[in-house]
Amino acid sequence: MFTIADITLHSHLLMGTGKFASARQLTETVKASGTELVTLALKRLNLQQKNDDILAPLQQLGVRLLPNTSGAKTAAEAIFAAELAREALDTHWLKLEIHPDPRYLMPDPIETLTAATELVKRGFVVLPYCSADPVLCKRLEDVGCAAVMPLGAPIGSNQGLQTLAMLELIIEQANVPVIVDAGLGAPSHACQALEMGASAVLVNTAIASADDPVQMAQAFRLACQAGALARQHGLANKGGSEGSSAVASSPMTEFLEAL
Amino acid sequence: MRIIVNQQPQQCDHQCTLQQLVQQLDINPNGLALAVNQQVIAKRLWSEHALQPDDQVVAFQIVTGG
Repeated sequence: MFTIADITLHSHLLMGTGKFASARQLTETVKASGTELVTLALKRLNLQQKNDDILAPLQQLGVRLLPNTSGAKTAAEAIFAAELAREALDTHWLKLEIHPDPRYLMPDPIETLTAATELVKRGFVVLPYCSADPVLCKRLEDVGCAAVMPLGAPIGSNQGLQTLAMLELIIEQANVPVIVDAGLGAPSHACQALEMGASAVLVNTAIASADDPVQMAQAFRLACQAGALARQHGLANKGGSEGSSAVASSPMTEFLEAL
Repeated sequence: MRIIVNQQPQQCDHQCTLQQLVQQLDINPNGLALAVNQQVIAKRLWSEHALQPDDQVVAFQIVTGG
């Protein structure tokens, strides 16, 4: 378990809700994932075309809802989106997301830090999506963010922990939960992030685009449980106690020589 | 009177409130947020916020996302 802003979460898996085929598939998948926190987005309402109500079924599940500011390209736009999100969902929790570059969706560190500073002052619990930059993550923590969400790889790329070396530094230095967001393509990636000491991972595409999202959500759930359990109970050192030499795990008896 | 909602002209009664506008447009208020002239209006104030002619209203709705 881990804590964000005095709220204890037992699941180490956060789930994005995009790209699902239907509201029903989404809710079944959320249930199977065991997640307690799901992300949502904001969109300008199309008055001619009413969408399916995806919100009510999620509210009925009792999971905590985390709106994001996706679509914002500047700090000012993100702050406006945050105020809208707070009213739309009656929550002051926010996934701050500012990515002006549509090709790689890389988060803008300057705008993100500027927006985070202001949003914390306005009473938001800010969880910023950010590049895996240890200095930036520390700065975001310093201005009062409740967690940091560095990326493993570009959004939706399924490449896994490409930023591994930087994530290790971020986790080592952080005093707030580190949630590895974006780019995780397989349960093993999620497990590895938790073994490294991340508090949680956020997964969307890898689950939603699976042949069977419900089963894939279950796989991620188990992987997160395994990673967190392993972290908690003392992982073996790489290379054993003898550096890079092999270390026997069976007794090295000399019975063959006695024959 | 004429107002603009999400860049489209709409007619509503004089002194129409945001609450009445939501009902008139038949919008689900669950997951809805409104801003008038770039100011976000808290949900609890919708019933008392009277619109003025040519007000620019933007309506946002919660959708799925990562």
